[in-house]
Amino acid sequence: MLLLVTKMGDSKRQKTDVRQGTLALMVLKTLEVLGPLHGYGIARRIEQISGDVLAVNQGTLYPVLLKLEQEGAVASDWGVSDNNRRARFYRLTKSGRGLLHDETADWQQTAEIIGRFFSMKSEDFS
Amino acid sequence: MRGIRRFFSRLRNTFAEPRKEERMREEMEEHLALETAELVRSGLPEAEARRQARLKFGGMETIEEDYRAERRILFLETLWQDLRYGFRMLRKSPGFTAVAVFTLALGVGANTAIFSVVYAELLKPLPFVSPERLYTVFQQEEKDATQQTGISFPNLEDLNAQSRLFEGMTGTTHHQLTLTGRGQPQVIETSIVTSEFFTVFKEKPLAGREFLPEDFKPGGAATVLLSENLWRGKFGGDPGIIGSSITLDKTPYTVIGVLPASFRFPAFDESEQVWIPLVHDPFFGPWIGRRVGHWLQITGRLKPGVTPAQASAELDGIGQRLVREYPAENSGWLVRMMPLRQLYVADVKPALLVLMGAVCVVLLIACANLANLLLARGTTRAREFAVRSTLGAGRGRLIRQLMAEAAVLGLLGGTAGVLLAIRGVRVLSPLVSTDLPAFSAIRIDYFVLCFALVVSAIAVCGFALAPAFLVAKVDLQKSLREGDARGGETAGGRRIRSVLAAAELALAIVLLVTAGLMLRSFANLTSVSPGFDVQHVLKANIALPRAEYSTPQQWLGFANELLSRVQAEPGLREAALAVPTPLADGCVNLGFDIVDRPPLSAAESRTADYVSVSQNYFHILNIPLLAGRTFDERDGMSSPRVAVISLALARKYFPNEDPIGKQMVFGFPPDGEAAREIVGIVGDVRDVDLGTDPGPMMYVPYSQAPFAGSDIIVKSPLDAGTVAASVRRVTASIDKDLPVGDISTLTDAVNASVAEPKFRTSLLVLFAAMAVVLAATGIFGVISYSVSCRTKEIGIRVALGASRGSIVQMVSREVLLLTLGGIAAGVPCALAASRLLGHMLFGVSAADPLTLAGVALALVAVAVVAGCVPARRAMSVDPMVALRHE
Repeated sequence: MLLLVTKMGDSKRQKTDVRQGTLALMVLKTLEVLGPLHGYGIARRIEQISGDVLAVNQGTLYPVLLKLEQEGAVASDWGVSDNNRRARFYRLTKSGRGLLHDETADWQQTAEIIGRFFSMKSEDFS
Repeated sequence: MRGIRRFFSRLRNTFAEPRKEERMREEMEEHLALETAELVRSGLPEAEARRQARLKFGGMETIEEDYRAERRILFLETLWQDLRYGFRMLRKSPGFTAVAVFTLALGVGANTAIFSVVYAELLKPLPFVSPERLYTVFQQEEKDATQQTGISFPNLEDLNAQSRLFEGMTGTTHHQLTLTGRGQPQVIETSIVTSEFFTVFKEKPLAGREFLPEDFKPGGAATVLLSENLWRGKFGGDPGIIGSSITLDKTPYTVIGVLPASFRFPAFDESEQVWIPLVHDPFFGPWIGRRVGHWLQITGRLKPGVTPAQASAELDGIGQRLVREYPAENSGWLVRMMPLRQLYVADVKPALLVLMGAVCVVLLIACANLANLLLARGTTRAREFAVRSTLGAGRGRLIRQLMAEAAVLGLLGGTAGVLLAIRGVRVLSPLVSTDLPAFSAIRIDYFVLCFALVVSAIAVCGFALAPAFLVAKVDLQKSLREGDARGGETAGGRRIRSVLAAAELALAIVLLVTAGLMLRSFANLTSVSPGFDVQHVLKANIALPRAEYSTPQQWLGFANELLSRVQAEPGLREAALAVPTPLADGCVNLGFDIVDRPPLSAAESRTADYVSVSQNYFHILNIPLLAGRTFDERDGMSSPRVAVISLALARKYFPNEDPIGKQMVFGFPPDGEAAREIVGIVGDVRDVDLGTDPGPMMYVPYSQAPFAGSDIIVKSPLDAGTVAASVRRVTASIDKDLPVGDISTLTDAVNASVAEPKFRTSLLVLFAAMAVVLAATGIFGVISYSVSCRTKEIGIRVALGASRGSIVQMVSREVLLLTLGGIAAGVPCALAASRLLGHMLFGVSAADPLTLAGVALALVAVAVVAGCVPARRAMSVDPMVALRHE
């Protein structure tokens, strides 16, 4: 019983890790385009654009935000949200902008290669 | 870069205050509120909106956990938790903690203290530039490798001229000169050096210049270098001293520079000294042309990249050439080299290694003891671990927690050990510095502290790892089921603990036997009679400056005047002259020939220790006259030369004849070739140290062989201070510029000659005592634990009619089995170890049955005492209580 729980925990963590990379990139891009936003705002934008990534488990955004902050890619401050509530606003830092730039290039390259593979037909090799 | 930044943020957060976690909760609540508001706006009822928002947000707990994992380094966090927990556990059982910390402190402290000595003497680089390339070059007798001596100046010049692999070789020797004209006359340690001195040592003067080739030219101006301490002390650190003149033995020397205080060579122990070129030395300067003799200590520096083997081979070749070219002086001698350090520590190295071994054994016993304690505790805590395990702690986590507890123990014990070592070193270093070369102060520095840390860490691993694994293997079901808190005791655990206790005993035996043998050696050594009276005898040295006292007549005149004036003092009638004083000054070994016997080759010379004494010397020191007569008024400066020999010389060189009336040829210039008639035979004397058998000795009357100075020996019932003051006053009344040096009682000299054996023996005894105490605690622990585990069993036995006697017997059997096992394992180890003591033993064999039997008996007695308390407890077990316990 005990063993089973541990295993489940492990596999779940792995899945989040895979997602975290993508999510981090989305966060950075969102902040670049829209400027400083609070967590909920970021979640909403990502949801609007990507659809299902954050349809469930919106909360996974927060560990990602923390990681980015600890890496110095984003910075955060307390501010006041639209409905006059205290909220924490995240903004892209200079190093975050660089990171986004690098990652975007990487990502596009990867996507391109993968794309080429997916469009591969048997005729291409005859 | 980003990774590093993240790591440090996490590290910081790990130790930051937990209230910062509030931020996450606040953010999440904010998020949920916004989402809820959004959903309400889209038409959902408030409650449903909140539910949906929560669903969408996902598992709060998981996210919080992820968040926390991101924020901090979990491993560190749990480690911190474990350490805190470990600390709490230790505080809860102060008895256990005290015993464990004390045990560990003994082990670590003893190791650290001894290591600090070993480090200072054997490991720390010598205080010279690139000391690893410095070697001592010496001549060694072909037939007897223990005969290692210095080299004469012409031979040194040949070595320097022919060697290609040495940057240079320098010859040094040292003695004392008297500095006058600057306040009180002062005897100054003077090092005599040859021209390559600075090529070899590469030392830069603090001020002024080093010796240049012209300083070594005969006929040039005499120059001198001062040590920093002498310069600061005697000359007030005045830079103007350079270029001015100082007076040594009434001869002017021009000061050319100051050498830093850190540089001490060849005299390691003297902080105030001077260096002069060999040509200007009043004693050895005239010997420059003599190829005979072995009077310069040679130090050479290898060129970079030259291996010792290559250099040895080169010296071999040069040595053979020297034999071919100058057979009279060199045949039978080889030229050899050894690392410079070896010259100074060869004598103490074995003793230090034995001591280091001893403290390692103490540490091993301490570890075994702690392992036993932890095992016992671990078994008691089996239930606790079973519960933890059931609640989800993995095996790794359990081991880690136990290790963390051990680490806390290790930290406490290690710290206490270092404090103990600091205290110990303070006690040790004066003992050490009297007899070991003081290259560098013995102290607890960073290197030694690191050693202590490593030792503690190894100890922790040693005593904690095995119990930790054993505990982690605990059978969950069984431990939980058994109501008895001590149900976890397994046969395996018990066996391991018994083996550990027996091993402790075995190790203790090794130390006890070693210490016992050393103790017996020391007792033998100190009960040896030196062959003369040492009680109430004081000696003082008066050296005469040669510039003022240049002729033997002057020397004799001064000595006679001194002796008669001292004898005229109240209570000092029994005074005599001697050069050198046995035991206090060491010996002067000199070759001799016997008239009418063929001379021997250079390789097989006859030698004996030479002493020049006044008439009443034998009477005052109570050296028995065995045949013939001692010296008297007849033996004046112009009368025929006479000598008195010792029994050992008579037996060795005149085995089947009466030596009285025979003539021997020996002596110092100008009397070097004088034939001396043997007029008497006296008893043997141990003149080098108590441990060395008396060798052949020859005595000459001081009146026929005066020196530029002498020891005055006074036997007096007055106390040493009074006698010394009188000698000083009398000396000053003859010549106010003469310092009186080397004042000591012969009892002190005897004690100094056994200081090193005493040092190592007392330390070994101390360590053996520690070992016994630890081993006894170990046995006590094992037996009393075993009794408490078997309370129920004993209760049943008693209830079924077992007598008290049989219960005691049962416990005693266990004690005896343990002890006998320990002794059986320990005795062979002890025999092997005692063989390593080698020449440190004196008058006792390495397999001394008396010591072995004594140690075995003593340990049985200790074991019985240690087992007594638990046995009594077993005897008094009340069957009703024991059974109701169930």
